[in-house]
Amino acid sequence: MMQAGTGVRRQGFTPLGLRGIPKLLVIIALLVTVAETAFAEEKNPAAEWLEQLGTAINMTSYKGVFVYARGGRVHSMRIAHRYHNGEIQERLVLQDGGSGEIVRKGMNVVCVLPEQGRVKLDQVIPSGPFAEAYTSRLMPLSRWYKSDLVGEDRVAGYDTVIIALAARDAYRYSHRLWLEKSTGLLVKSNVGEPGGKVLEHFQFTNLEITDDIPDSEFEIHSEGREITHQLDGPKKGEALPSSPAMNGWNLGWHPQGFVPAATPKSDKGQAVAFSDGLAAFSVFVEPEQSVRMPVGVSRIGATTIYMRQLEADGVRFLITVVGEVPPETARLVAESVHVNKMPESAAGSP
Amino acid sequence: MDDRLRETLSAMMDDEADELSVRRLLSHGSPDDVCQQWQRWQQVRDLMHDGRSPMEGIDVSAGVRAVLEGRTVDPVRKKREVHKTPVRWQWPAAAMAVGALFIGFGAGAGWEYIGVVPASSVAVSEPAGVPETDTTHEVALQGLDKEQWGYMNRYLLEHAQHNSVGAGQGSVGYARLVSANDSGH
Repeated sequence: MMQAGTGVRRQGFTPLGLRGIPKLLVIIALLVTVAETAFAEEKNPAAEWLEQLGTAINMTSYKGVFVYARGGRVHSMRIAHRYHNGEIQERLVLQDGGSGEIVRKGMNVVCVLPEQGRVKLDQVIPSGPFAEAYTSRLMPLSRWYKSDLVGEDRVAGYDTVIIALAARDAYRYSHRLWLEKSTGLLVKSNVGEPGGKVLEHFQFTNLEITDDIPDSEFEIHSEGREITHQLDGPKKGEALPSSPAMNGWNLGWHPQGFVPAATPKSDKGQAVAFSDGLAAFSVFVEPEQSVRMPVGVSRIGATTIYMRQLEADGVRFLITVVGEVPPETARLVAESVHVNKMPESAAGSP
Repeated sequence: MDDRLRETLSAMMDDEADELSVRRLLSHGSPDDVCQQWQRWQQVRDLMHDGRSPMEGIDVSAGVRAVLEGRTVDPVRKKREVHKTPVRWQWPAAAMAVGALFIGFGAGAGWEYIGVVPASSVAVSEPAGVPETDTTHEVALQGLDKEQWGYMNRYLLEHAQHNSVGAGQGSVGYARLVSANDSGH
């Protein structure tokens, strides 16, 4: 009996045998419980509002007029937005100055700007989990921003809650968001230095949240010289990349909390976008062309553009960082780019 | 509504419009356009006046003037100015304020050398192996030629699309692009 009993124990005693699995499950269950408890402790009313922000922006149908202001410059735009047949459709029409409009249907964007001709952008490839990560609980916004529900307000005729997001470090800006109560739609926002100067305002002055928006509201009406900017996306039948490819270069540093987002394949090099769930920056690494770009920093409201040149394997590259981050962050990111070898797409470039 | 009427409307907001201009504006054929524009600007003005700047207590003029004249800013004085800031800013904002002293406000004012301060000591992570640079060019968007602006536009447009698709920023990214275009031209 003893031998038989011992034999049974020996048969079952393997590292991943039947007896090991329950222990593993218990450990996993414990870890999940601890993680959920930690999350629940962090959760506050502001976090709950933020969870529905991304979904509300994309899935809510609405039309109206909003203003965007930075410094002394103000622009107002008319917008129609809907989620139709499984894709986001949006049309923005400039209300001040020259005529111009931007129409987005799914991943296809056509932009007609005053005196700029028509620029077409398509095939920006969501690089995997990020598009969903914005609304996912996995995106720990609270780690990078201190979020508080600071009050209520009325914007463009709708009741809103006000969420303050104070940056926890100097590598990002602070935000204040006004979210419509019934849908969670962002109807007003301020971006600024932590506790300080407001760099840009966005606000609806006229808004109607409605599903009844005719197709004609999503057609391009402006005429202009057409400039098509064709990006190299995947060929038909080709799978989308599961992670952003930094072909031939890498980023030595970026602020914690920023993860790869949408990855387009620009025509002469590489571009990768990063976001912390609220702010985003894009890094472009391209062999220098006949057009010599100036190097240095430029600020447009909350947007920083930092350009620098880099030489690798006898090829000069232009590194450009564009994002809603402080100039110092953009500089540090740009300075950390290392080109290991010439990107394949640049091999044929002069 | 043409630019001249828009100019008059803008002057009216500042209480600087002359009587003739106001009469011309009032007799404009599309009063609705004028009303809407007036309403929008009023809302924007209210919006912008609401946002109080905590930089109010800091005198940055001396520091900016010193940088423009190529002089070194007295670090003691610089420190004292930073210490005038309310306690609630603490270091992240203090670092921003010092950065503002060097960088100056209102980017795009011209080409110039500006100092760049090190990152704040409260940063969650520090970059490793980043080469030290002590000067950064400020690029004036107005100074870009047509081809350069074409490049810049593409970067801004792609970034706007990243914001719209990946970062859930909706139309704000495109509004930034439009605003940037206005800077260039």
